[in-house]
Amino acid sequence: MKKYLQVLKITFQQEFAYRLNFIMWRVRNVMQIFLLFFLWTSVFSDPARQFFGYDRSKILTYVFGILVIKAIVFSSRTIELSRIISDGTLALYLLKPINFFKYWFTADVASKILNLSFSLVESVLLFLILKPELYFQSNPAYLLLFFISLIIAVLLFFAIVFLINMFSFWAPEVGWALPFLFIVIIGDFLSGSVFPLDIFSESAQNIFYSLPFPYLVFFPLQVYLGKISIPTVINGMFISFGWLIVLWFSMKYVWEKGMKKFSSEGI
Amino acid sequence: MKKKIKKYFKVWWLLSRNSFMSMLSNRLGSIFFLLGKLIRFFIYLVFIVILLKGTNSLAGYSLNQTVFFYLTFNLIDICSQFLFREVYRFRPQIVEGSFDLVLSKPINALFRSLLGGADVLDFFTIPPLIIAMIFVSRGLNPGFFSVILYMLLVINSLVISAAFHIFVLSLGIVTLEVDHTVLIYRDLANLGKFPIDIYREPLKGFLTFIIPIGTMMTFPAKALMNLVTVNTVLISFLIGGLFMFLSIKFWKFALTKYSSASS
Repeated sequence: MKKYLQVLKITFQQEFAYRLNFIMWRVRNVMQIFLLFFLWTSVFSDPARQFFGYDRSKILTYVFGILVIKAIVFSSRTIELSRIISDGTLALYLLKPINFFKYWFTADVASKILNLSFSLVESVLLFLILKPELYFQSNPAYLLLFFISLIIAVLLFFAIVFLINMFSFWAPEVGWALPFLFIVIIGDFLSGSVFPLDIFSESAQNIFYSLPFPYLVFFPLQVYLGKISIPTVINGMFISFGWLIVLWFSMKYVWEKGMKKFSSEGI
Repeated sequence: MKKKIKKYFKVWWLLSRNSFMSMLSNRLGSIFFLLGKLIRFFIYLVFIVILLKGTNSLAGYSLNQTVFFYLTFNLIDICSQFLFREVYRFRPQIVEGSFDLVLSKPINALFRSLLGGADVLDFFTIPPLIIAMIFVSRGLNPGFFSVILYMLLVINSLVISAAFHIFVLSLGIVTLEVDHTVLIYRDLANLGKFPIDIYREPLKGFLTFIIPIGTMMTFPAKALMNLVTVNTVLISFLIGGLFMFLSIKFWKFALTKYSSASS
């Protein structure tokens, strides 16, 4: 346990070593929220208006929720995995008396703590500047399910990122491309980080719900907003948990296959 | 002058050809990259259609108009990336000191850093985008004069975009930070995906005059819809000229701060 605490501390120090990078990254996150906030404010210019099952306070809570949940779920150091496989520095990690999976998960936790702290401060500042009407969930059952869905989302994202980055074992020169396509493009949209997925038709939503991506952002936010019934929430949790088991075992399997393929020269 | 333009065009052509060859050596990566861009474009388009079918209008604009704003945004954004891709590769030159090699060549350093290596991947997406724009604009019934004004304002937008990229390059020399600055510019530009009228004051004024994203992305489409005044057009060109002037001043200042680190 002690050595993982050290990993946590080192990751914090690494994040602070590149302060300007980190601050710029946070500025970018806030700007993305600006677009969504004003877009939806314009759509809901009449406070009594309802669209796609949302009223003004719920949609603005969704927008602010994206900022916080993305900081918890999407903040990750595991995205570096592709690079360390491609340039061979993975060998240095394999020599260390530390569990490789736990090492990266701990590094992710450090990144999440830091990003979450900043996103909370940003949310407060944005709240003071923009003065939006927000929806606060008070039902303890929904709050509990929301926290559980968040934990599943964090583990799911770790497994997805780990799995996709291992593509570098087989194509080191384009190791960045698959994570770019799946995480930056597809994951961003299908997770509901850009707009809520329930604006789409029911049949499209059924397809989305059968994939792991909506359980990263959209599903936790639906639970927080109380937009789905408790039995539907439980059903969603079973599906996401099922995905977690499938991805977790796939991750271990691909890792073993990748280890047989991996070679590192001149490190 | 004619000889000079010919020389620079030849250099641009050579650098762009090299950039294309380098892209061909990494085909799978390029395909994924292009695929990602196309997916992002279509998902946003579907979102706009679904949103406007539900709400009927956005800030007073119809579905056809909102789609045209989105297509214009994409045209300016893609043309900027096609022309100014070299900016994304500038930081290593400054950090490693290899910018010395650019300065010592008998060619303008700003030209080399800004336009040295067009992104052919982006170029492939421009013709289908223009066809889509012609198709959508037919529903807006623009007059001949509106179309000419639209084209002039799009060129003005590219001048503003060039000025933004020159600011990013100059900041890169002064602070060694390019990657995030250029991405912040991209995020700012993204605020122009939708008409600037969705923003409240003072942000709307800020995005029109101080960081002229509105002038860049919204005004050309408004001109095609016959929704701009003569004053708006004049101010747009003035902003374009002023931004370019200030960016070149800043570039000249930044060059005096270059210390040739690590070389």
